[in-house]
Amino acid sequence: MSVTRRDFIKRSAALTAASYVGMNLPIGQHNVAQAVDADKWVRGTCRLCGAGCRLEMGVKNGRPVALRGVPKARTNYGYLCMKGMLFYKIMQHPDRLVKPLYREKKNQPFREVSWDQALDIAAKGFADSVKKFGSDSTAYYGSGQCQTEETYIFQKVMRGGLQTNNVEGNPRLCMASAVGGYLTSFGADEPIGGYDNIERSYCIFIIGSNMAEAHPVIFRRVMRRKLDNPDKVKIINADPRISPTSRIADMHMQFRPGTDLALMNAMAYVILEEKLYNQKFLDDYCVFRVGKDKKQVNMAAFKESLEKYTPEKAARTCGGNITAEDIRTAARWFAKSQGTLSMWCMGINQRKQGVWANNLIHNLHILTGQLCKPGADSLSMTGQPNACGGVREGGGLCHILPGHRLVKKEKLRNQVEDAWGIPRGRIPPKPGYHTMAMFQAVNEKKIRAIWINCTSPAQSLPNVTPYRKGLQSDDVFVVCTDIFPTKTTECANLILPTAFHFEKTGVYGCTERRSQITPKAVDAPGEAMPEVWIVREWALKLAKELNDPVIAKCVEPFLGKEPDCELPEAVWDEYTQKVTKGRDNDLRGATYEVLKSMDDGVQWPAPTKEFALTGGTVMKFVRGSDPMAETLAKDDKPYQFYGPAHADKKLWVWLRPYVGADEEPDAEYPLYLSTGRIIDHWHTTSMTGRVPELLRANPYSYVEINPKDAARMGVKPNDMVEIESRRGRVEMPAKVVEGPIEGMVFAYWHDMHEDRMINKVCKDAYDPGSKEPEFKICACRVRRISGPRALKPYITTLNG
Amino acid sequence: MPIGGFVVNAQPEFVNEVAGELSDIDDVEVYGFDEKGNIVAVIDSESSTIMEAQVKKIEGLDSVLTVGVAYLHAEDEVEKIENGELVIDNPFQNRKKH
Repeated sequence: MSVTRRDFIKRSAALTAASYVGMNLPIGQHNVAQAVDADKWVRGTCRLCGAGCRLEMGVKNGRPVALRGVPKARTNYGYLCMKGMLFYKIMQHPDRLVKPLYREKKNQPFREVSWDQALDIAAKGFADSVKKFGSDSTAYYGSGQCQTEETYIFQKVMRGGLQTNNVEGNPRLCMASAVGGYLTSFGADEPIGGYDNIERSYCIFIIGSNMAEAHPVIFRRVMRRKLDNPDKVKIINADPRISPTSRIADMHMQFRPGTDLALMNAMAYVILEEKLYNQKFLDDYCVFRVGKDKKQVNMAAFKESLEKYTPEKAARTCGGNITAEDIRTAARWFAKSQGTLSMWCMGINQRKQGVWANNLIHNLHILTGQLCKPGADSLSMTGQPNACGGVREGGGLCHILPGHRLVKKEKLRNQVEDAWGIPRGRIPPKPGYHTMAMFQAVNEKKIRAIWINCTSPAQSLPNVTPYRKGLQSDDVFVVCTDIFPTKTTECANLILPTAFHFEKTGVYGCTERRSQITPKAVDAPGEAMPEVWIVREWALKLAKELNDPVIAKCVEPFLGKEPDCELPEAVWDEYTQKVTKGRDNDLRGATYEVLKSMDDGVQWPAPTKEFALTGGTVMKFVRGSDPMAETLAKDDKPYQFYGPAHADKKLWVWLRPYVGADEEPDAEYPLYLSTGRIIDHWHTTSMTGRVPELLRANPYSYVEINPKDAARMGVKPNDMVEIESRRGRVEMPAKVVEGPIEGMVFAYWHDMHEDRMINKVCKDAYDPGSKEPEFKICACRVRRISGPRALKPYITTLNG
Repeated sequence: MPIGGFVVNAQPEFVNEVAGELSDIDDVEVYGFDEKGNIVAVIDSESSTIMEAQVKKIEGLDSVLTVGVAYLHAEDEVEKIENGELVIDNPFQNRKKH
């Protein structure tokens, strides 16, 4: 590269960065755009977390050569994090799966087969299971990383073709409690607002989220809001662990794990005691409810239910690190600000009381009227890039059909059957197995054929060891579609190589109801193919095996379409035009043509193209912002809570008592264990672990121990410790740090090494409503086993 | 030899100091900063491995709140990988089963 061109690129890099912060640099901008002579820039979405950052990939001679943020994107305004920036490196990784692989028995080595053979094997495996054990002996387990088109077509073939609702996905492990919270409090899934409120808020309540590491680009917006308005904006960070997120907080409320229900009830107590609630908002839009039968009660009953949550009592329950005055101050900041925004993630959702914890956050917003106005929102952050768009909206869970329809309602099933042109009654009325029940059914051989797409339950399930048993059995036929070997492909009979992000076309829907397209930019390596093609071809063979034309009918609209662009577009068109029509996630305006023209996609509802081209609905339920608030209005009030789950079209304040974790520490297992994500890695490291720069930054998991606990246990920094629960044990290095509250340890969960896989220790108890497991809390004991030890990182290979 | 454009966010009261510290790091060039704590910097390094190490150093500085990436050019590295001049550094090569 010539010096001149290199200097051009450096200036281009500097000017791009400067443009994001409105800084004028003393260098000319002339010709900078030409400095990088990419053949084309292809605009898409980051592959990793749920923030939905938009980026452009520079392509030259058919390969990626550069990445840059999209400054006008309302998700990230051009910023990216390092793990997002480096994902292009895995596209060319030598471990990529490039050929279909098969073995009859799971102790045999894999052998390469053709696609035709592979699809025959997949069709026969599922057909045999149906013939011998019935439709419900088959299952699909997908991912919040699949594109919406992929989830939609898979669930269509499973429900309409194979006649089973055994359709699940890993969002059950991360977001199901947020779904339950939104439905029971607001009557509709997904947030009312979005990131737009960050720059308008005056109080930001972050609870159960280390967003500085898990969502660094969104954290940057929160940080900027605080630093630009240090005296006007208050940040409250509530978490049992002091994390990098705490650095910008005005107040860190460090509570004993699981006691946040008491904390939030105490904040509600203060709001009532000091009359900080919004009486008109309550009168116009809200009711109070209690119990399984959703009995309506009055505000006096709600107040009475809070009597045991005085700030003084709650401060004691929370473990003594919070004072009663802290709780009062937090409640006042929350209630009195011009706009309060709550943000949370897995610390709230991955809990046995996950739905209730969500309800209690929403309660604070409803009581104070901190909703539907600038800066005010109750915003659950998403962990995966398409958990919202694909799985929650596209019908990727066992109890829901596409378009936020419940399986159990005949009218809604019929709507979908009619849209698909298949006989009414074809979709069975009984919901399928939820995730934990599904893998238990695999263990019990009730499920005999399972297709696992783009996820690795053999590593990501809590208390993972017993759930591997069924997957490893030769009695269960396992198909995996993925780009790399994982702990789950180790259990597969058939591995089908898939195209990666930017190697195919599809839509992701991020945290804030925003659907964004990523078109194909480069070819997939070897014989890797898009999932939509794989499902279509599989369904045609399955129809022959089972002699069932309705299975073929499920993919009939997609026949003859080329797989990279036409096929996903046809799937998207069917989903949006026929299935979301009239639903609260109406996406009819968000055609591929519209999505491609947008810097950052469309927020639903967006029933028409004209409206979608404005960006869609920024604030749901608000007249003037949300077109459905007009068409479904029941009176002349400015807010219309038309969500499908509340017949009374009201927001519900719930009476929810504090209930602790499923497993509290005791004499035998005296510590709380919690787990989470580290900035450089994402989930099971099947991708980020293959980027050497990211792996080297954090080559293995470690456990954070409070200095007081470490002193008591005789643990020094970097000593090797054993973490043991009633379910399993692991060994990892200790980091002694003022992070976790005394009495709690915190372990990172990304490590694939069998000795350090913390999910073997976690508990598989789950929320009775959302069925989401309590990854975040269980009881453990910790013991020093040696001084520092040299450890090697580990990523699984094809044969384990 | 990748080139990256970054916005480093420092606590505003220490922005001068942090900009100076950044300039002392190999391969890092500071192009400008403002009173809000924004610092525009470019890293021009031999490899993305070195770039990542420099980013880690920056993230570890006192008074640095976040490091945002705006732009990454890696054509040279991609070319080298394709020509076989650079093998992707894979710490798992020749690994044994754990």
